[in-house]
Amino acid sequence: MTQSTSDNQQPLFGVIAEYDTPTAIYNASKKVRDAGYNRWDTYTPFPIHGIEKAMGIRMTKLPWIVICATLTGLTTAILLQWWTNAVDYKWLISGKPFWSWPANVPIMFELSVLFSAFATIFGMLVLNNLPLFSHPLDLKERFRRVSDDKFFLVIEASDPKFDHGATTELLNATTPVVLEEVRDERTSSTAVPKPLVYILLLGLFGSLVPFALFAKARSSTMREGRIHVVWDMDFSPSYKPQSDNIHYSDERGMRSPVTGTVARGHLNADEHLHLGKQENGTYALTLPSTVAANDDIMKRGKVQFETYCSPCHGTAGDGNGIVHKRAEALGGAWVPPANLLSDHVRSQEAGKLFNTITNGYNSMKGYASQIEAEDRWAIILYLRALQNSQGIAASELPEAERAQLK
Amino acid sequence: MADDKNSSKTGEKAQASSGPQAQPMPNGDTIVLPAAAAGAGKIALIVGVVSLAIAYFTAGGWQQFSHSYLTAFMWGLSISVGGVWWVMLQHLLGARASVVMRRVGEVIAQGVLLMSVLALVIIVPTVFLHDSTIYQWVNHDYMESSHALHSKVGYLNTTFFFIRMVFYFAFWSLMARWWLKKSMAQDSTKGDVEYTLSLQGKAAPALIGFTIAVTFCAVDFLMSLDAYWFSTIFGIYYFATCVITFHSFLALAIMWLQKKGVLAKSVNAEHFHDIGKMMFAFTCFWSYVGFSQFMLIWYANIPEESHWYHERFEGSWMTASLVLAFFHFIVPFFGMMSRYMKRNPKTLKFWAFYLLAICWFDMYWLVAPNIHHGGVNFQLSDLFAWVGMAGLVVWFFVLKAQKKNLVATGDPRLKRSLAFENI
Ligand code: HEC
Repeated sequence: MTQSTSDNQQPLFGVIAEYDTPTAIYNASKKVRDAGYNRWDTYTPFPIHGIEKAMGIRMTKLPWIVICATLTGLTTAILLQWWTNAVDYKWLISGKPFWSWPANVPIMFELSVLFSAFATIFGMLVLNNLPLFSHPLDLKERFRRVSDDKFFLVIEASDPKFDHGATTELLNATTPVVLEEVRDERTSSTAVPKPLVYILLLGLFGSLVPFALFAKARSSTMREGRIHVVWDMDFSPSYKPQSDNIHYSDERGMRSPVTGTVARGHLNADEHLHLGKQENGTYALTLPSTVAANDDIMKRGKVQFETYCSPCHGTAGDGNGIVHKRAEALGGAWVPPANLLSDHVRSQEAGKLFNTITNGYNSMKGYASQIEAEDRWAIILYLRALQNSQGIAASELPEAERAQLK
Repeated sequence: MADDKNSSKTGEKAQASSGPQAQPMPNGDTIVLPAAAAGAGKIALIVGVVSLAIAYFTAGGWQQFSHSYLTAFMWGLSISVGGVWWVMLQHLLGARASVVMRRVGEVIAQGVLLMSVLALVIIVPTVFLHDSTIYQWVNHDYMESSHALHSKVGYLNTTFFFIRMVFYFAFWSLMARWWLKKSMAQDSTKGDVEYTLSLQGKAAPALIGFTIAVTFCAVDFLMSLDAYWFSTIFGIYYFATCVITFHSFLALAIMWLQKKGVLAKSVNAEHFHDIGKMMFAFTCFWSYVGFSQFMLIWYANIPEESHWYHERFEGSWMTASLVLAFFHFIVPFFGMMSRYMKRNPKTLKFWAFYLLAICWFDMYWLVAPNIHHGGVNFQLSDLFAWVGMAGLVVWFFVLKAQKKNLVATGDPRLKRSLAFENI
């Protein structure tokens, strides 16, 4: 049945056998498999169930490639988010921790899926030796019917077991309709087509343009103001504090609480704790019973004082904080922060101090929205300690500290 | 279908025992449960009743028992509700691969009849005795105690609750029975295609009704345990459980039938692979939904919503929550990913039992924190109620599986199903 080609100059690519039915090629595959060939393949118009077993094809390695890519995607997502949110550019969003896993899961999921999908597609291409730009079978007139109604089996000459006579005999025994030699008569190149290369290169450079623009923007100064890409977000239609709102009869943007309601956590039922008042309505003289005058509270008070008060009143409380110094240096109208060590402040009741911190005093604003009531009391405790630490007789100091003074 | 007639002898026997018109299987497989298998059903019934009785007496009170029972009930319900969904879905999609298993699914779906009766244990005290042990919203004073609750009275009241319950169970029972009836009617017509086409059309509106029922059923039975709490994704969360438990049960049911000599040749690794894929897919789906629910609530951090998770993060409940995430997602995700796990009946059997167990734990995690605050407090009654429920579910399945063709022999796509292969 073999039809030898007369032109023997081209190297032999392999032997091709043609069959009419899936069953025939299925059975032929088993024979070729059992004969121990490695470099051979079947070509059919539609997938044939079970042919992979008949051909002795092992399970693909692709899933392992994919799982590696998945884990890489997962790790990338974790590192990316951890580095950007918790290390490089910390940004406090409604009190959430900088690094917390629930917020990061969507990206972990997405990058895992993305990496897996790429690994599946590209892994499949690589494992199948694709893309293949030319193949000796392309030129076979007969082979075209592979996408219609014919079934082909090709044993390649590069197979170590390939032996022209024996291989032909083996295939002959499978009763093919036609058995032919395939010569490598390719005239087209196996290289990637030039236009494709150009398009890819163009795409590659094109994708660098945005980065070049970023780099330029970072290294230069803009005079035009920033570019607004998302207008809705840059100019949010929500009403700002103190702004007006024509939709209300009083035309105020800020609404007062509904009468008879109390916002969560603002009940302020304990007059002493929350208002600094005694039962008879005068300022309380002591700390409320719920705030103990101990070391912990003292330390807490120090931290709070240094965070919230010291910029103006100075770490010592003498009214000489850095904001004050800077204002002095700049000149202009400036009400100096009070000296908290002065007799005027010393003589004030604890409740009065609490009121000052809570509601502010003249040009000093109130700190109730930033500092918890307990912490405000802690500040007062610490403030008292500051006041007492000034101008005391050396004889009252402990031994060790007195020694240091000398 | 002349070639079907001269198939093998076993087919004819099956035909003889199941009515004169039914078609034999093209591959000669046995498709009627032997009478001897009924014994298994009786054992299951005894186990079920005795275990539930033990649960009642070990619970030491209605509060504990009702919660143990509700946990087990929602688990059992999920299996049959999943069955109703699956049967209608196969029709809607014109599925070919599953035709050979569809009758078994139809039989499992009959479980909603049993569940309608078992639901009375919860519905009667709530609706007719105004007992607020399970659902606090039954108590008027409680609902008037806060504005948030007061605004829900229109939905959370016993009358409307009862109306909804009637709708869920009537709808499901009707569906379960109707789809089985039509499918059996097709068997006796020697494969009338008209049935197939008409059923496909009817499956679409039926599934819309189903979706509404399963969503609100989950809201009523489980979400309203905490009258304050709400989560719009909750219905889907329970639905995911339905699909997982149903497919697990389907796999086990078919394996059991095969041991009894039924369907031995017809259902093979290809079909099991399909069941396994659904179990795997919906385990991922459950995780996706469960996490979405958690993350949105966690991120928005609104007290009305987040307290529900707070309760489940308190004390040893935190461990339980982590156990759930790990054993309901991570373990089956990696464990079931490989196709070998789904194609090999032994491993698939393991995963089916595994998922049935973890889905019960999910129900436990939803229900128990309602009465045990601050930490897991596992009771014997939880275990016995579950075993009892499983017993009843199995008994009812065996009962309904008897004296029937266990394959939809009249479905014109049966042959495609028998020859089905995953690529
Ligand atoms: C932005 C600067 C600034 C900060 C921060 C600040 N203050 Fe003041 N404080 C002032 C100024 C200015 C005055 C004097 C106001 C006046 O006399 O008109 C003042 C006055 C006071 C007085 C004297 C009130 C009186 O009766 O005379 C007290 C007490 C006081 N501050 C306590 C505090 C405490 C405690 C904190 C920290 C919670 C704090 N301040 C933070 C600027 C500040």
